[in-house]
Amino acid sequence: MTEFEWPWQYSFPPFFTLQVNADVRKTQLDAWCALVTSWGKQGGVTQIDVTEASDLAVFKNASIHRALPPDGIQVVLEELVRRGNLEWTDKTKRRGYLLWRSAGEWGTQIYKWAQGSSRINTVCTLYELAHGDETADQEFHNLDGDILLKALRTLEASGKAELMDFGDNQGVKFL
Amino acid sequence: MRRRAGVGAIQRQKIQQDKFKEKGSEIQENQLEQMTLQMEKFREHLEDFAAKHKNEIKKNPQFRKQFQEMCASIGVDPLASGKGFWCEMLGVGDFYYELGVQVVELCVATSHRNGGVLSLDEVLLRLNHRRRPDNQISSDDIVRAVKKLRVLGSGMEVVATGSSQFIYSIPGELSMDHTALLQHAESVVHLTVASAASALGWSQERVSRALDHLLRVGVAWRDDQDRPPSFWFPAFFQQCATAAE
Repeated sequence: MTEFEWPWQYSFPPFFTLQVNADVRKTQLDAWCALVTSWGKQGGVTQIDVTEASDLAVFKNASIHRALPPDGIQVVLEELVRRGNLEWTDKTKRRGYLLWRSAGEWGTQIYKWAQGSSRINTVCTLYELAHGDETADQEFHNLDGDILLKALRTLEASGKAELMDFGDNQGVKFL
Repeated sequence: MRRRAGVGAIQRQKIQQDKFKEKGSEIQENQLEQMTLQMEKFREHLEDFAAKHKNEIKKNPQFRKQFQEMCASIGVDPLASGKGFWCEMLGVGDFYYELGVQVVELCVATSHRNGGVLSLDEVLLRLNHRRRPDNQISSDDIVRAVKKLRVLGSGMEVVATGSSQFIYSIPGELSMDHTALLQHAESVVHLTVASAASALGWSQERVSRALDHLLRVGVAWRDDQDRPPSFWFPAFFQQCATAAE
């Protein structure tokens, strides 16, 4: 895997202090959200634990001795939730799924693949989808199981797929 | 005892003076005529020159600058209007207007991160990046283009600092204090209230007031993890100026 290319803001010291000016703060949060999602995508990070977030490389830059304080991290995470790039695993809001693509976007991508490989009206297991040889070149290959399920649920909601339970395994039928 | 001047003498003197005056203005007229003739010739040569080197003027920034200076020395402004010989011949009027529009576009496109302050180096880098290698522009071109925009009341201004220049396109005029503080910031990249106060010879209150304004318009960012808090300016931060758009 290639080294993650940090954006310029990451070496800009005041980036780690939430700005008071509303316009500037919006720009700053845009940059933070873009940074966290692209960093997660590159490193294959699928979940963020709030209590451990301050240890993540993305929230601190040792070379300039700056770290985003906990309340700042909280604001960034809430903003990610607002944009659909983070979903809390439960109501305690202590862990969240990091979706560098929203569930809907993943769903669209999976459906495209299903269309392209003529799998409409056939059944796939979720394991096949995420770890099968046939999806090896797809972006959703090795996608976190929970996120995959969320993505398929969005397809189900729009009538493009049907989820099935085989007891110990789950499958999906594309429509 | 000397004889007092009579009426005749006075009249004689007056005639003499008139003669002198006449001769004087005659000489002046002659000189003016010659000068006009010379200027006319110079203009002609300049026009010939411009026609002959049209392409070079358009493409070579150094050449363009020297040509501009030559024109200015005889009071010809090839940019003065969109019509007339110079513009038709060279299309330089359009050249600077188009450049001006590009500068404005760049200011708008990057204002979310720099608050409307752009170093001239960054403008040059970004605009030349889009241009063909044989069609580059110089900082002189940019300064001219921005000055041309002033007639539109665009509110854009070129501010010179010790080492370089920057363009600001912030709504509302910057006061002398704001400008001075920005000039200082450009050379030091980041500052504290105390460091700026001692560098500029101001009171800390005066620095704080100017800084508050720059924070409000989004030109300055505050770093609370520095003790005492420091203030940074994305426009003068090297990695920001060279970052992809």
